[in-house]
Amino acid sequence: MQPTMWQRMDALARKLVPFGLTLALMLFALTPTQIPGLSHLTPMYALAAVYFWSIYRPDLIGYGTSFSIGLLEDPLTGAPLGCSALVLLLCQYLVFRQPKFFNAKPFGVFWLAFAVLAIGAGLLKWICVGLVAPGGFTRFGDMFAAALMTVAVYPVIAWLLAKAQMKLLASA
Amino acid sequence: MLQPTGQISRLGTIKSLLQRFAFLSLIVATFALMLIGKADTVLVERARIAVTDAVTPILRIMSEPASAISDVVANLRELAAIRKENAALREANARLLQWQSVAQRLESENHDLSALLALVPDPPSHFVTARVVADTGGAFAQSIIITAGQAEGVAKGQVVLSGEGLVGRVMQAGQHSSRVLLITDINSRLPVLVGESGTRAIMAGNNGGRPRLLYLSAKTAVAPGDKVVTSGDADAFPVGLPIGQVARTGDGVIEVEPYMSGDKLLYVRVFDFGMGDTTADATLRK
Repeated sequence: MQPTMWQRMDALARKLVPFGLTLALMLFALTPTQIPGLSHLTPMYALAAVYFWSIYRPDLIGYGTSFSIGLLEDPLTGAPLGCSALVLLLCQYLVFRQPKFFNAKPFGVFWLAFAVLAIGAGLLKWICVGLVAPGGFTRFGDMFAAALMTVAVYPVIAWLLAKAQMKLLASA
Repeated sequence: MLQPTGQISRLGTIKSLLQRFAFLSLIVATFALMLIGKADTVLVERARIAVTDAVTPILRIMSEPASAISDVVANLRELAAIRKENAALREANARLLQWQSVAQRLESENHDLSALLALVPDPPSHFVTARVVADTGGAFAQSIIITAGQAEGVAKGQVVLSGEGLVGRVMQAGQHSSRVLLITDINSRLPVLVGESGTRAIMAGNNGGRPRLLYLSAKTAVAPGDKVVTSGDADAFPVGLPIGQVARTGDGVIEVEPYMSGDKLLYVRVFDFGMGDTTADATLRK
């Protein structure tokens, strides 16, 4: 039996859940928190989301999704175009290349792997922005602190995305 | 039985090849974007403005809860200190009334002296107030996105102030949104005057909370607490806008603590002092 239009739209909407939630987290990173000193330590939420979906739902997040998120992030944050997209793509590539490593491991292992990946991603973005932006290299410590914050918030992001996955993508 | 398995494995190989091709093409695309960003700044700026304009309505909605929570916290704090604040305000009011009479006297004196000297007055300034909907003060750039653009009279190069002091300048003006480069950004360079003597210097942002003073004469004595204001050089800013005060001196480094706090900005005012766009010149970009 052919699926009805509503069923097709429902299936499409479910397929867009990882993109939508990653985009929402990227925009959330930009909203002012009004907490002094926190904006310096804004975590790379989009990276955490791309990592999560690449492990659990690689069928719903392709390279095109990470590229689009990175492409939107740079004009909004004022970073040079292409830097965020490059970082997200490379991180996703690393996860996709290691399906055995990421198969049914305890959460602690995923978190540890994310810590290494987030610090590497921060370093790569720092180098990329430093080489391309007119202002040159920014302070190394700020990048490192932001990467550590990203590692610290990962369990919360993973928990939220896991809940969303169970609610919205159980049958997708 | 063998045929379907073979087909599946062939499909898998094609899929994996396509995926690898997509990955490589997108990596090439990111490098191409970086090169275009370096070469064609006008095109890239238009793209940035278009994206910012499109996303600002969403950011406006997303920033509502944070600003509502911040308002509630501020209200609670004010309630707790209402008696104390009332007493302080009464005292301040009495003091300000004295100042008002002084100001009125000075104003009439100023008016008379200006008329006597046939002084050409400064062009009148206009301002619009806008809400801050995004704070991109991360490790890589220090800027904010505000909810006013060309439609509201905002143009590139205009000066942005908060109640405390200078915030920065408009670096991109979209239709209904603009990006403001904060004075703490690593690309920000401002000609300033320091202390009572009005020593000239350049204040350079470093993405941290405290910009530094550069090109200050070695003989100049600068002490913590000295006020830092705009100098009006290079026609980038009017003279005397408050920026902050010297926080620390030593080891050849002089740090300025700005009056404005990039983290706490809720509303800002964008001023048109009739100075035009000078952002593209060497004072700010290089």
